[in-house]
Amino acid sequence: MSDQQTTVMIVDDEEMVVTSIRSFLELETSHRVRTFTSPSDALDALAAEHVHVIVADYMMPGMDGITFLTATRELRPQAARILLTGYADRDNAIRAINEAGLYHYLQKPWDNEELKLIIRNGIERSQLFNELDARVAALEMANEELSEFRQKLIEAFL
Amino acid sequence: MSEPRDPHTELDELRRAQAELVNSAKLATLGSLVAGVAHEINTPLGALNSNHDVIERALNKLQGILEDEVVTPDELDEVRKIVRAIDGVLRTNGIAVERMVKLVDSLRTFGRPDRADVDRVDLHEGIEGTLAVLGHEIQDIEIVRDFGDIPAVECYPDRINQVFMNLLLNALQAMGEHGTLTIRTRSNSTQVSVAISDRGPGIPPETLAEVFDPGFTTKGERVGMGLGLAISRQIVDQHSGDMEVESVLGEGTTFTVSLPLDLTEGEA
Repeated sequence: MSDQQTTVMIVDDEEMVVTSIRSFLELETSHRVRTFTSPSDALDALAAEHVHVIVADYMMPGMDGITFLTATRELRPQAARILLTGYADRDNAIRAINEAGLYHYLQKPWDNEELKLIIRNGIERSQLFNELDARVAALEMANEELSEFRQKLIEAFL
Repeated sequence: MSEPRDPHTELDELRRAQAELVNSAKLATLGSLVAGVAHEINTPLGALNSNHDVIERALNKLQGILEDEVVTPDELDEVRKIVRAIDGVLRTNGIAVERMVKLVDSLRTFGRPDRADVDRVDLHEGIEGTLAVLGHEIQDIEIVRDFGDIPAVECYPDRINQVFMNLLLNALQAMGEHGTLTIRTRSNSTQVSVAISDRGPGIPPETLAEVFDPGFTTKGERVGMGLGLAISRQIVDQHSGDMEVESVLGEGTTFTVSLPLDLTEGEA
């Protein structure tokens, strides 16, 4: 993992859920934790901030978790998306795997150890994606330079 | 040729079949209730479960720090962090417990298994209790409480709450995820009326007369088996009350229950 500060976003309309998860993560990890009780506020924040993992509740008034996570895919494609669901929402979670590019889903009541592990793996995955992107960009740049160089060589011999 | 059947035996069989139908509708209502409670309890339960784990972890960390009887400046920072975590979870514990107490309170109003008898009650309490356990169905639906200043009504509260449960659930399911549900209560010197209106698709005039028939449903096999309204009608009849339905296609449906202030039991 890189030294860069890792950020986890938690979105649930229930204040008690975001506070519980925040307390746990702040005690047990060194991730920066950003919590939101409104999905649209979270989307606004995402436009400006880089996050590695997004954990969202499924049942939220205004915007459900799948719609929210699908929207975050546009803004932060590299973030790992985790859906928090009630027991009865399992089918929806499975639907979200394709729609929102879901990384994982967790059922309420969740297990903290499992949550920690999924978040850690999600961060690693997100960092790998970022690294991959950076390397692809570097390769593309090198390729461009090579093409220019080749063009110059050809021109020199003509 | 077979013997003509004894009309008394036939009547008994019919009664038995009717009792079975009534029971299955009760079970369907109970099913909705249980699903609602399970869902409503899951959020505070999830928070409490997580918080319990956090406190255990925090305690372990504190014990680890205190083990060698010396607290270094670095450890002091760690202690501050632990205290912050404990503070956060204790605050949420309070909110979670309060939520569960409220839920159990509304269930008491709703179920009253200990008071299945006649009582004089405020119908608003029953309506609020039912709405509380239906919380998971409500989502983006706006609830308008057009409550009048109504007197307490003598009735079988658990049965009347079953009527509210059926009517509110029907109204919510008619609208899906969005809409407005209006509950209007009024009274005069002899009776109280509760009108529950949805902004759903409405019921076609040709089927409006059938809605109280046992077996009528627009919801398929899944819910209630089409007995909810038939049972509700029966309960209201039992209270010598009245139940009416008005519906406009594309605008919505209103069910109105009228109950006399004093109970004179009618034919069930």
